[in-house]
Amino acid sequence: MKVINLVMTKKSSISLEFDNILPELLFDKSLRQINETIIYRGNKEEPLSHYFDVSIEGECDDAKECAIVIDGDLSRVKRIGFAMTCGKIIANSDVDFHVGACMSGGHIIVNGDAESYAGREMTGGLLEIKGSVKEFCGSSYAGEWRGMSGGQIIVHKNAGKQLAEYMIGGNIHIKGDCDILAGVHMSGGKIQIDGNVNQWFGGQMKKGTIIINGNVEKMLPGFVLEESIYHPLINGKQFIGKYGLYSGDKTVKGKGRIWIKK
Amino acid sequence: MEYILKNGVVFDPKNDIDGEQMDIFIKDNVIVDKVSSKAKKLDVSGKLVMPGGVDLHSHIAGPKLSIGRLYRPEDIRKGIKPASKNDISGFEAGFSLPTCPTIGYRYTKMGYTTVTEAAVPPLEAKHAHEEINSIPNLDIPTLTLFGNNWFMLKYVKEKRFDDLKVFISKWLKLAKGYGIKIVNPCGSEAWGWGKNVDGLDDPEPHWGVTGREVIQALTEVNEKLGLPHSVHVHTNDLGHPGNYATTLETFDCVKHIKKNENVDRNQIMHCTHVQFHAYKGTSWRDVSSGASELIDYINKNDHLTCDVGQITFDETTTMTADAPMEYDLFRLTGLKWANKDIEVETASGLIPSIYSSHAPVSVLQWAVGLEFFMGVKDPWKIVLTTDSPNGGPFIRYPRIISWLMSQEKLQDMLDNEVHNWATNRTDLGTYDREYSWNEIATITRAGPAKILGLTDRGHLGVGAKADVSVYDIDVDKFDCTLKSNSETLENKLLNSKYTIKDGEILVKDGNIVKLVNSNHIWCNVLGLENEEKVLIDRIKPEFNKYYTIKYENYGVNDHYIQPDTRMDVNYGGEL
Repeated sequence: MKVINLVMTKKSSISLEFDNILPELLFDKSLRQINETIIYRGNKEEPLSHYFDVSIEGECDDAKECAIVIDGDLSRVKRIGFAMTCGKIIANSDVDFHVGACMSGGHIIVNGDAESYAGREMTGGLLEIKGSVKEFCGSSYAGEWRGMSGGQIIVHKNAGKQLAEYMIGGNIHIKGDCDILAGVHMSGGKIQIDGNVNQWFGGQMKKGTIIINGNVEKMLPGFVLEESIYHPLINGKQFIGKYGLYSGDKTVKGKGRIWIKK
Repeated sequence: MEYILKNGVVFDPKNDIDGEQMDIFIKDNVIVDKVSSKAKKLDVSGKLVMPGGVDLHSHIAGPKLSIGRLYRPEDIRKGIKPASKNDISGFEAGFSLPTCPTIGYRYTKMGYTTVTEAAVPPLEAKHAHEEINSIPNLDIPTLTLFGNNWFMLKYVKEKRFDDLKVFISKWLKLAKGYGIKIVNPCGSEAWGWGKNVDGLDDPEPHWGVTGREVIQALTEVNEKLGLPHSVHVHTNDLGHPGNYATTLETFDCVKHIKKNENVDRNQIMHCTHVQFHAYKGTSWRDVSSGASELIDYINKNDHLTCDVGQITFDETTTMTADAPMEYDLFRLTGLKWANKDIEVETASGLIPSIYSSHAPVSVLQWAVGLEFFMGVKDPWKIVLTTDSPNGGPFIRYPRIISWLMSQEKLQDMLDNEVHNWATNRTDLGTYDREYSWNEIATITRAGPAKILGLTDRGHLGVGAKADVSVYDIDVDKFDCTLKSNSETLENKLLNSKYTIKDGEILVKDGNIVKLVNSNHIWCNVLGLENEEKVLIDRIKPEFNKYYTIKYENYGVNDHYIQPDTRMDVNYGGEL
C-alpha cells in the first residue's frame, strides 16, 4: 500500500485543477516526480509543489494499492478524482466542483461538502461525501442525454437541485434532504433519498427507481399511484413501513417507479 | 518563394502520372516546370505526393453549425486538444461540430486545401461567410440553396425560365455563392405546411410544383448560365426504405438536357450522398440495398456524378435543409432535435445520430456506401465524402481510404466486426476491389476538382495552383493492403508531412506552421446585369412583403469576403 499525502501550503485565489492527481498516474512516481506534476491554475501550468507539501508512505506495484490523502482547505480545488479509474482518494475538507466526475472505478471519500457537479457522468466506483453536495450531483453534463451510468454515490447530508438528471444506471443514496428536480429524465438506476424532497422529482423519467423515505412537496401529474405496499422488497432490499408505488412519467410514456413512504 | 519537392512519388491522375518518382517545382502560387537555383529544396524521396485535397460536399460554415454547437455542447467536449506553446494554431475542440478554427486545422493537417460548404441559404449567407472568415487555410466555395425558394417555385410554376435564369444569376451574386444546391426539392417547402413530398412527382402543397420540374428547370438554367459546377442535388426521400426508385428517376430526369459546351466538367447533375438514397424495401424491417441498380445506371451514363456520404460508425450530428427527414429521424430515435425555418427559402433541421457497427440499419448504410465505392467503375464519377458530419466527421476520410485500399481489412470487418446485414442484405461481400493510390487521388482530388469545375486545382500540371500534399508514406515499401497497416495508414493520412497551399507551406510534419485566411470562391455571371436590375425592380415589392428584412440589407457585402476569389462566368446567351 502506498499513501501519498498532500498538505496544502498555499491557497490559490482561483481554483486549482486536479485532473492529473490520480492514483493511476502517481502510484509509480518518485517524490520528486510527484512534486513536479503539473496542475493547472486557471490557464497556467504550475508544479504541484507550489501549493502542496508532498510526502509518501509505503510502496506499491499496482495503482489499486495507491491512496492519495489531501489535507488543507480544498474549497478552491476542482476536479479531484476526475476520470479516476482505480485506487483511493481521501479529501479531508470541503471540495470544489467536479469531484469524482466521469470516474469509472476506485473510491473517493470527501470529509466535507462538495460543490456542484459531483460524480457527473460517472460510470463506476464509489464516491462518498460525508457532508452535502450542491447541484447536478450524478447528472449529465450540459447537452448530454446520458448521465451517471454506473457506480455508487453516497451523500451523508443534503443534495442540491437536479440530482441524477438523465441518470441511466448506478446507485445514489442521499441520507438528507434533496432539492427540486431530482431524477428528471432518468432512464435507469436507483436513487434513495432518506430526507424530504422538493417538487418536480422524476419529471419525464422513463425508467429507473426513486425511493423517498421523507416527505414530498407534491407529485407531478404524470405519475399514477399503482398500489400501496407494506415492507416492500425494492431491488432486492427490504424497506420497513408502508410505501406507495407510483409509476410514470406518463407524459413521456415512462415506466419509472417512485416509492414514497407514507 | 520557390520550392522543389525532390523525388516524391507523384500521383496526378489528370496528367496521367501514376506513381512516378519526380520533382515538383513551385514558384509563388503556381506549379511551374523549372525554378531558379535559389529555390528551397524539400526532400520527399519516396514519399506520397498528391495534389491538395478537394472536398466537394461538407458542412463547415453557416447557421446549422452554430445551432448544432449550441444544441450539442457535449460534442464540443470531444476532441479537445490544447495548443502547446510551440503551436502557431490554437486549441482544437469538437468532434462532429468542431469550432471554426479547428475545422481549418484538421482539414489542413489532412492535406486538404479546398472544401465546399454544401448548403447555404441566401438569407444566412452572411453568417456562413463570417464563419468562413474564422476558418483558416482553405479555399471555400459555397453552394446556394435554391430547391425550395418561393421565387424559384413561382417562376417554375409560371414557366418563366428566363426570369429564373436571371434570378439565379443575381442571387448567386447576393449570396456570394458558387453553384446551385437543390435539397429535397419541394419537400422542404412542404414542411412549412407540416408535410413532405413523396417522390419526384408529388406536388408541393402551395405552389403545385413537383421536384421533377424543379430539378429540370434548375439544371437547364445552370447549363444556360454555364456555371462551372453542375446542379448539386440531394434527391427526395432521403433515408426512406424504397427510395432508390426515386433516385433512379432523378438520375434519369435530366438526361435529355444539353450540357453547356464551355464548361470543363462532364456531368450535368451531381447527386450527393447517394448512399442515403439507395435503399430497397418498404420499412426498416425489410430494408435492403438498392445500390446495384444505381451503380449500374451510373456506370452506363455519363451525365451524372455522385459522392457517397459514407457512414463511419461514430456518434455524429446530422444537419440538413431536409427538415422533414430530420423529423423522421427524431420519430425513429427519440433524440433531441432542432428545426429552423428559413423564411421564403428553405427549412433546416438537426439531430444527433449514432451509427454503431452492431446496429443493423447503420451497418446496412455503411455497406451501401462501400458498395458505391466498389461498384462504380470510373473513379472520376465518384467522390469520397461522408457528407460531413452527417455520415461521420471529415476526419474519418483517412479511415475510409484504409478500408478501400485493403480487402483484407474490409473482409475482416465483415466477418468479425459488423452486423450480418452487411453481408445478408447488400452485395458488398461480392466485390474484391482494392483502390490504388491513383484511384484515391482521383476520388479525393482530381475528380472533385473537375466536377466542381475548378480547373486550376486537383492536379499538378504546369500552371496549376500550387496546392500539394505530401504524406510520410513510402509508397514502394508501405503495404496498404495489409489489415495490420490500416491504423498506421489512417494516422499518416491524418497528419500530412507537408501541406502546401498557394505555394506556402502550411503544415510540416503534422504540425501547422502557418495560418492564412481562407478564400471565398464564388461565381459572378457577366452579361446579365441589365436583366438583373429589371428583375430586382420588379420583385422588390414581393421581396419586402415576404421577407422580414429589406432587400437592401439582404446580400453579402464585399467586406465579408476578404480575400475574394471571384470566378467570372461569361453568359454566352442561349445554347
